[in-house]
Amino acid sequence: MLFQLVQLAVSIAAVLLLALLAHQLGLGGDVRLRSEAQARDEAAAALGGFDAVEVAVDRAGIGALLRDAQGRVLLLRRHGAQFAARLLDSHSDTRLHQNFLTIGTSDPSFGKITIDLGDRAQVWAASLRRLGA
Amino acid sequence: MPELGPVDYAIPGFLLLIVIEMMWSARRAPEKYEPRDTLTSLGLGVGSTVAGALTGTVVLTMALWLYEHRVVTIGWQWWAWAACFVLDDFNYYVAHRLGHRSRWFWASHVNHHSSQHYNLSTALRQTWTGFFAANFAFRIWPVFIGFHPAMIATCGAINLIYQFWIHTEAIGKLPRWFEAVMNTPSHHRVHHATNPLYLDRNYAGVFIVWDRLLGTFQGELDGVRIRYGIVRQLGSFNLLWAVFHEWIGIARDVWRAPWRAKLHYMFAPPGWSHDGSRDTSDTIRTRWQERQDVVPAE
Repeated sequence: MLFQLVQLAVSIAAVLLLALLAHQLGLGGDVRLRSEAQARDEAAAALGGFDAVEVAVDRAGIGALLRDAQGRVLLLRRHGAQFAARLLDSHSDTRLHQNFLTIGTSDPSFGKITIDLGDRAQVWAASLRRLGA
Repeated sequence: MPELGPVDYAIPGFLLLIVIEMMWSARRAPEKYEPRDTLTSLGLGVGSTVAGALTGTVVLTMALWLYEHRVVTIGWQWWAWAACFVLDDFNYYVAHRLGHRSRWFWASHVNHHSSQHYNLSTALRQTWTGFFAANFAFRIWPVFIGFHPAMIATCGAINLIYQFWIHTEAIGKLPRWFEAVMNTPSHHRVHHATNPLYLDRNYAGVFIVWDRLLGTFQGELDGVRIRYGIVRQLGSFNLLWAVFHEWIGIARDVWRAPWRAKLHYMFAPPGWSHDGSRDTSDTIRTRWQERQDVVPAE
């Protein structure tokens, strides 16, 4: 039993050391959305064939909102060195403050994101209200 | 000191190779690793060994009971080792295929796929709930026909060790004869991809021939950017969420579903829904195929 506990402690220490090494080596980098085209590609990959007709990319490139021809709205946000997405089904977790939109989804584990959409923030906030509460 | 198994001896090698791949990544492609993702993957690996230690005795007891009622005694000849390894690899293929095609087994396997990265740390994203899902049933039955439980356990461990090195983007395609017979980094990248063409393909453990024989093989295409992970990406590095999210999803769906659909939410393919509101890998592939002008070839 003692041996197994020592083995577990050594394993946990090794895990933490490797994660620290990954951090020290600067792995992960600083991934950003550089363009609307990139946001479209990421959205299409995240939700098979999502064909955006309207795109708003955060000014720092950490997220984006995209709408397709059917009126579906996809939230794209940075997740580590990759991007993850969710379709929005309500506006109840959306808050507007000047140019900043804070958006949550019906999936709490996905978290909230605050994106800077500049002068388009108010237009998008208004349109998200059409999703219902 | 307790007797160590093959996997215990391999772990220092695993860690050393991860360090080497991290240094390669730092020079060539820093985005191939993400420290928080690595922490989650390795945490899943450690937790899996704890879960295995807690449930291993029960599995061993069952295997020994089956062995007492065996049909014949096969023994320890060299050919028995070879036959056992090939049979165990086939059993791995069957279990793995079911692990993707039935939500019950997928719930215990999904954490191996939920990283959006594909590196050696991904290999260590092993299940905590395999015993609960009864995955072991696919691997221990050969003791009933006469293979010794220790032989099966050793073959299973060698199978697991083999699969470690194929979880990398640092190795391209290998010589054709090797790619034809063995599972390789190229074949297994396809398996971890969410690209519609690649979904639910290449279930092999060691020998890719099972996929070639049973119609589930797909070669890696040049010029196609692979997206790794699961169809609905987790969007979270939370270790416990990574372990249990699909089990929680099953519980919620079974609770809400009409009676006639409850068992389907447990055992039908992942993404199945009684009202057709969700996508399975088959529907995703079909829709994608309809959008293509040409039929893709290997």
